[in-house]
Amino acid sequence: MTRTTLADKIVVTLAVLLLPFLYIEFWGNSSQGEVVQIRSANSETITLPLDQDKQLKIAGALGISTIEIKDRQVRFIDSPCKGKQCIMTGWLNKDGQLAACLPNGVTVQIIGRDHRFDAVNF
Amino acid sequence: MSPLPRQRLTKRSFVNFVVIFFSLLFLSACGQRPPQVYQQQVLALGTLVDISIYGVDEEQAAKAVTAVSNKMEAIHHNWHAWQPSKLTYINQQLAAGSTVTLNPEQQQLIQTGITLAKKSNDLFNPAAGKLIALWGFHSDERPDSAPPAASDIEALVQADARMSKLTLDGNQLGSTNPAVMIDVGGYAKGYAVDQGIAALRRMGISNAIINAGGDLRAIGDKGGRPWRIGIRHPRQPGVIASLETHGDESIFTSGDYERYFEYQGQRFHHIIDPRTGRPAQGTRSVTIIHKDASTADAAATAIFIAGPTLWRETARAMGIKEVMLIDATGTIHMTEAMSQRVHLNIDTKTTKTIIVP
Repeated sequence: MTRTTLADKIVVTLAVLLLPFLYIEFWGNSSQGEVVQIRSANSETITLPLDQDKQLKIAGALGISTIEIKDRQVRFIDSPCKGKQCIMTGWLNKDGQLAACLPNGVTVQIIGRDHRFDAVNF
Repeated sequence: MSPLPRQRLTKRSFVNFVVIFFSLLFLSACGQRPPQVYQQQVLALGTLVDISIYGVDEEQAAKAVTAVSNKMEAIHHNWHAWQPSKLTYINQQLAAGSTVTLNPEQQQLIQTGITLAKKSNDLFNPAAGKLIALWGFHSDERPDSAPPAASDIEALVQADARMSKLTLDGNQLGSTNPAVMIDVGGYAKGYAVDQGIAALRRMGISNAIINAGGDLRAIGDKGGRPWRIGIRHPRQPGVIASLETHGDESIFTSGDYERYFEYQGQRFHHIIDPRTGRPAQGTRSVTIIHKDASTADAAATAIFIAGPTLWRETARAMGIKEVMLIDATGTIHMTEAMSQRVHLNIDTKTTKTIIVP
């Protein structure tokens, strides 16, 4: 009963070989954690990891909005709008937080690992 | 028992095992990936409109988004309160004491406004455009300058502009009070969302959300799973509550944080109480669930103005069952029907909740 057959050995070997694949498949993405979604009206959404510092320039309806990702936070640092509401919003660092430059049509939002909501009402 | 048949059996079952194991693995890997929701953001109605569509191919969804966006832009353009539009023309004619001939869309929207204002006992008052203009909210960005003089506010409150002063005879619109200036800002967003959903349905789409700057209508679901909606906290980042939609529903919130200006340390928001001519007091936000978005939009405004004392009877008069009001102290008032729908995300030790039938 306790004797291991060749088949048993192959099964065990296969199972061990499968582990790295399973790990990457199911836990791989979570090491990145939260992401930043940058959207501009009528163009592709840009998704970036929150833990990689970066500055980027997004073209909108009026001109270029500059967005900074730093120390797991994200903010608008420049935008061609009058009111500068987007810049005054300051740093975003929690799941679901959003900053928008409506005149330029650019939004920045932090999306958690589990995309919890299909829409947010406010 | 000889070892031979046992060995053969093991081999066969081993092969079966490997095949089944891998089939199951890839089956489950497929199942893990959520079905594709097509999502696109467009600039319309002077805000960002997020459109989510489920169950059709990308090409059809993209076409639908363009159609919805065009429809909403046309409504925004036709009903603009301060840029020259069909509405500003109507208002000029009414102010001059003339009657105006309306097209079917204008007739429908104005009739809806008259009906909703009546149900709300004029707390929702689209005829009070002059008050909104006086407060400076007929501009894209209200500067942080002084609020209007008390005498000017008083004069407009006394002028008693109400939707009931309008006479709509077939397609002929007139007014018995020259102080009436129509401003559809309190329900045009809802109307545009309703029209957008109707356009999607005509294109064969039955699972979608149109979220116009935070106010939305959802239809259908995501392959049997309901759409999940978060309701943002009026004072903090993050959500205060969440809910799952049931079929076809609109979720609208009016908040004092949406548009405002500050002067000498005081904040003045954009929801003007027609009884006082000043920003409504006592409420931070009102969230409504109701089938059509036009009614939900108007009701959120009316119930916000009604405040913590009159909200329940105003909701009843407007036929709204699911209401959540957050008052100026942060206490949550809800109808029983609403309490059965939302999952609150609050600290029950610090936040008081009052549920009324």
